[in-house]
Amino acid sequence: MNELQELSASVVKGNRAEAARITNLLVAAGAAPLDIVENGLVPGMSEIGEKFKNNEVFVPEMLIAARAMKECMTVLEPLLAQAGIKPKYTAVVGTVQGDLHDIGKNLVAMMWKGANIGVVDLGTNVPPEKFVAAAKEHNAQIVGLSALLTTTMPAMKTTVAALRDAGLTGLKILIGGAPVTDEYRSEIGADGFAPDAASAVDVALRLVGESA
Amino acid sequence: MSEGHTLQIEADGNHGGTCIPARPGSLLTDLLRRAHFPLNTRCGGRGLCEGCKIELTGGEMEHTTSVLAIGPGEHLACQCRTTGHPASIRIPARSLLAHKPQVVGEFRINVPRARDPLCQFVEIEAQGSVARALATAAPGHMTRLAPHIEDKQSGRLFVRLEYRGDHWLATDIVSSPPPRLLGAAIDVGTTTVALVLVDLLTGTITGRASGFNKQTHLGDDVATRIGLCLYDKSMVGVLRDAVMRDTVGELLAAANPSGEPLACLCIAGNTIMQHLAAGIDPSPMGTYPFAPTFLGHRVFGSPAIHLLPSAAAYIGADVVAGLLASGMAYDPQPALLVDVGTNGEIVLQRDGRLVGCATAAGPAFEGAGLSHGMRAAAGAIERIRIHTNPFRVEISVIGHGTPIGICGSAYIDFLAAGRSCGLLTASGRFDPSAVPDAGQDLLEIPERGKALRIGRTRDNNDIFISESDMAHLLQAKAAIAAGIATLLERENISQTEIRRVYLAGGFGMHLDVANTIACGLLPGFSPPQIQVVGNTALAGAYLAVLDASALREMDRIATRLESLELNLDPGFEERFIDHLSLPDQPFSPTPIN
Repeated sequence: MNELQELSASVVKGNRAEAARITNLLVAAGAAPLDIVENGLVPGMSEIGEKFKNNEVFVPEMLIAARAMKECMTVLEPLLAQAGIKPKYTAVVGTVQGDLHDIGKNLVAMMWKGANIGVVDLGTNVPPEKFVAAAKEHNAQIVGLSALLTTTMPAMKTTVAALRDAGLTGLKILIGGAPVTDEYRSEIGADGFAPDAASAVDVALRLVGESA
Repeated sequence: MSEGHTLQIEADGNHGGTCIPARPGSLLTDLLRRAHFPLNTRCGGRGLCEGCKIELTGGEMEHTTSVLAIGPGEHLACQCRTTGHPASIRIPARSLLAHKPQVVGEFRINVPRARDPLCQFVEIEAQGSVARALATAAPGHMTRLAPHIEDKQSGRLFVRLEYRGDHWLATDIVSSPPPRLLGAAIDVGTTTVALVLVDLLTGTITGRASGFNKQTHLGDDVATRIGLCLYDKSMVGVLRDAVMRDTVGELLAAANPSGEPLACLCIAGNTIMQHLAAGIDPSPMGTYPFAPTFLGHRVFGSPAIHLLPSAAAYIGADVVAGLLASGMAYDPQPALLVDVGTNGEIVLQRDGRLVGCATAAGPAFEGAGLSHGMRAAAGAIERIRIHTNPFRVEISVIGHGTPIGICGSAYIDFLAAGRSCGLLTASGRFDPSAVPDAGQDLLEIPERGKALRIGRTRDNNDIFISESDMAHLLQAKAAIAAGIATLLERENISQTEIRRVYLAGGFGMHLDVANTIACGLLPGFSPPQIQVVGNTALAGAYLAVLDASALREMDRIATRLESLELNLDPGFEERFIDHLSLPDQPFSPTPIN
């Protein structure tokens, strides 16, 4: 097993100390940060996503794996920025207004980073106009809206409307969260719905025209 | 002791009064205890509650914290010292201690209570005015006559008084009171409801019942139920009926088969349950900043339904009740209350300050959402022990019959014992290689991973714990553990500085404290710090129904409590993920093979 494979394996196992150690080692040895992401982290997160879809991995293991990956990204993100490397796609994510829950949204953000999608995370309780401003500023192709409560779902509707009114052409809006359904997606006119963080990757890539 | 230093005592049921010698400088509560008039000093005699309130009817006393003389009027006996002068006092019945702290089946009460039930008959000798006779017979009770009560009556009469928060309402006048009055104490949880029927004169529990909250059919968690009300206001009434008529009503019928009328009911639920019980729309609590429509004590209906006071949208009357019943609100040293329910609540008390937070644990420890989970009731496996060499799972079942499911305390045993023998990995997966002879009991369950057979039902069906169950349990455990860690860090206090942890929850009084710590639910604590107090929401409701001053204490506790929003704490998620694993074993397991 080479170091990149070891990195993938440690992400899958959720061993963040090991994942960070290998990442630092690779960086010190002069490996290209993009290569570490594409051939170390992406395969690891994709394996976790697959296993999750097959019920071989449950939520706790997925969160632990995502955190290991986050640890690596903390090292790699500044290097990628320094080298002027921008991911092909940029996504803006946030939990809609009135909702403070962010564990699900954070997991989606990590899964997207793990699929080499750039992520601008606006945090929780995000008003519609902030989503619009960030989508414009970062030239995002994707906006991800999260709501964990039935009570905050109406804020998804107003956010989708605000994004549409802003006339951002080509922007794809993806929604998710425990109470959200595909039916609700069609009702409020969003483009995609992901039932869990693993499928959020497939849905995002499909929406921007990449085959998942 | 010189002559003349005397205290004249007048108390309920002590006609003619008692005169005792009183050495100057004696603490009044001590003096009265020795004279066989023990008062309700539930706050430990620290002047924090009104349990020992007496009336100084003549002479003077000295206040303990100042040398100032105090004259006639109401005083707290624990703050009064006798002087060299004679004095006379009157002890209202409600200040006399009725009972010592007790363990009652599903809960433990750490504070004493007085005898002042929310519904009671008072004997009066009326001469043309009931109101005037009541003023002397029930002093300290601000009484009003219900509109249908005629004031012009004379003779020896018994007046039925009902507590209404700021006054007592006279609702009936009879010539002889009924032999007993029954009240109900009710814990309305998101997932489960438990109640006891109480004889209001003696405090004896005469019936009990518990079951799932029928609102669950309409929505699993409070957010879903709030959501239903948000989209359709008629759902408020539907949810009220589901809990009050279909759940509480049926449980009361089960606990009270003879249909004896109830005099009053006390409900201690979370704030959303309190709103729905009153038929009030909880929608504003569904989105940040989570504004409740009411928090304080509310009373309505006939028989009177008392909703106990809540502290915040996510720290409800159930928790406030627990803070009183556990005695934590009065602890002189730092203490923590951890109430494990669908919404786990954690409250820290230090130097009289109360800070609390809620954490979304989910209903796993109440047995919901798991393959074979159930509430702690007859037929539930409540303890699990794992023996190795040879491998054997030993169980105890509530009621000693054939098991039908597994309750929270047994799941906690399993997490701890499974991890300690190596059968469970840190991530909650089975490692058959660690305990090879466990293989015969290991099953493969589609979509739920491996599972261990714990027992068999009467119909010979397997009762098992699966890896998917473990994932739910780990998330519940992590939510509580991370909540505790976040609160303690925010308040800059360590586990070792906490003198006592009151562990409350519906998983019963038979929780193994060592296993609770070993599985990581109470990280960093040691067994001597932990006291299992059971269903303290029910305990607090029981106290309130028997003692109006307990209810007023809850109002004060609720007002004092500061609430903290965990989701706004940047470190919460990090700690949540930290606690998603089972702790590493304290030592390596002995190799088995």
